[in-house]
Amino acid sequence: MTTFRYVLRDMWRLVFHHWVLGLLTLITAGVMLWILGITTLFSLNLENILSQLESELVVQAYLVKDSTIDVEQVADRIQNLEYVYAMRTFSPSESLAKLQQKMGSQSHTLDMIGDNPIPWNFEIHVNSAEDVEPLVSALKDMPEVDDVVYAGLVVRRISAMSRISSRVAWIMFVLSVIITALVVYNTIHISLYSRREEIGIMYLVGATRAFIAAPFVLEGTLLAFFGAVIAAGGIIAAYFPAITMIEVNMPLLHKILLNDNAVIWRFCVLLSGFGATLGWVCSYIVVARFIRSITRAG
Amino acid sequence: MNVTFSGVSKIFEPDIGALIDINLNISQGEFVYVIGQTGSGKSTLLRLITRELLPSRGTVTVGDFDLRRMRNADVPYYRRDVGLVAQDFKLIQSLTVYENIAFVMEAMSVPKEIVADRTRDVINQVGLWRRRGMHPAQLSGGEQQRVAIARALANSPSLFVADEPTGNLDFHTAAEVMKILFAINAAGVTVIMSTHNQAIVNSSRQRVIELEAGRLIRDEKGGSYTAR
Repeated sequence: MTTFRYVLRDMWRLVFHHWVLGLLTLITAGVMLWILGITTLFSLNLENILSQLESELVVQAYLVKDSTIDVEQVADRIQNLEYVYAMRTFSPSESLAKLQQKMGSQSHTLDMIGDNPIPWNFEIHVNSAEDVEPLVSALKDMPEVDDVVYAGLVVRRISAMSRISSRVAWIMFVLSVIITALVVYNTIHISLYSRREEIGIMYLVGATRAFIAAPFVLEGTLLAFFGAVIAAGGIIAAYFPAITMIEVNMPLLHKILLNDNAVIWRFCVLLSGFGATLGWVCSYIVVARFIRSITRAG
Repeated sequence: MNVTFSGVSKIFEPDIGALIDINLNISQGEFVYVIGQTGSGKSTLLRLITRELLPSRGTVTVGDFDLRRMRNADVPYYRRDVGLVAQDFKLIQSLTVYENIAFVMEAMSVPKEIVADRTRDVINQVGLWRRRGMHPAQLSGGEQQRVAIARALANSPSLFVADEPTGNLDFHTAAEVMKILFAINAAGVTVIMSTHNQAIVNSSRQRVIELEAGRLIRDEKGGSYTAR
């Protein structure tokens, strides 16, 4: 208890001794973690939109018009392809009925064609847009398949967007973490450097390295944690109005965007925890290195 | 605590022999002066005892501890049994007199009430209770040295190491500090003190260990000191 009281007292002394530096660290950590949080939310929303689009992507495979083909066996082979998420088989008559329904009042024009020209076909759903191209190529390799119809350009664009968005999110994540870590690292290093003589004395009179290190590690953890809390506040203040504005202007996106209070609050709690952990790790590394270097016997 | 040096040498890079082949044994309860000119190796000898330095050759044993083989993690626990007083006082400037002394007990997780009682006792012992709220910079040299002594006493050490504790003090203040050190020794604590103050050594006729250019040239009980 005495140790705990000392650690708290000394930690506050450190914070107030370098309050300008502390404030700058707090602001920088807050801004960087805000960027990190907003990028993550943007990326999550984009992922939602893309997966919604992907779930609507359909590959249509038409079989050769040949009565000797075992449709069930072909269906089984397609079903076993790794890219297939779901599949539905349509007989020529079902396909014609579907087409007639689609054409509505114009369906009588189909009568002019004579015999039903539509062969057995499959409507295939994939896991992700990236699976479409390999699936199409696998289908084209099957001799029973006559034609494959899919939205090639849309698929390529969705795949590219998905890749870019996840790369941008990762780059922002790494940058934010590195900048926050460096700022906390430097602040604690300056705190340590300004008290290097005291640290030497403390060690000389019997304080353990852990006891000496604790206030510094706590200072770093606290600065990053409060930085993350500020970031979380900023996210809540900016995110909900932005989502409302987007939904008003683009009603199609309603229900696709993340707009659940509980989820966003949980995300903010997670961000604060992440900030504290980041602060703890950085300050632990700098404190351990510094104290080891100045307490080593010559 | 007994202190034993067996064949101890300390060589600093590139090839400076601060101590050369030192053999000595100091028994529990002794008062020992370590004398010699500046650069003779007095401070190096004391810093080997406090384990700020490690010997290049030989072994230093204090009580049951072989300081060369001691793990770094054990050093703080060893130092809690060694009171240290230095010429430059080594006080924490941001802490008050009271906090400087309480700190060593807080580092050991001593209960708050015991910290308060013991801190009051040792501050009274060195006669600085009225100065307890002051910072080291507000005190005279003699007062700062008394704070350092009080801090060293806080953990009731078995060994007291004083590196030129009177070096920065006038004769009168130095005599006061010596009075406190003799009182500590009278309580059974081993005291090892380096000095080049002739008057202090000659006034109390204790064991004298003299170093010259890193070599032990005299180890005499009740010895005197004539500065060369």
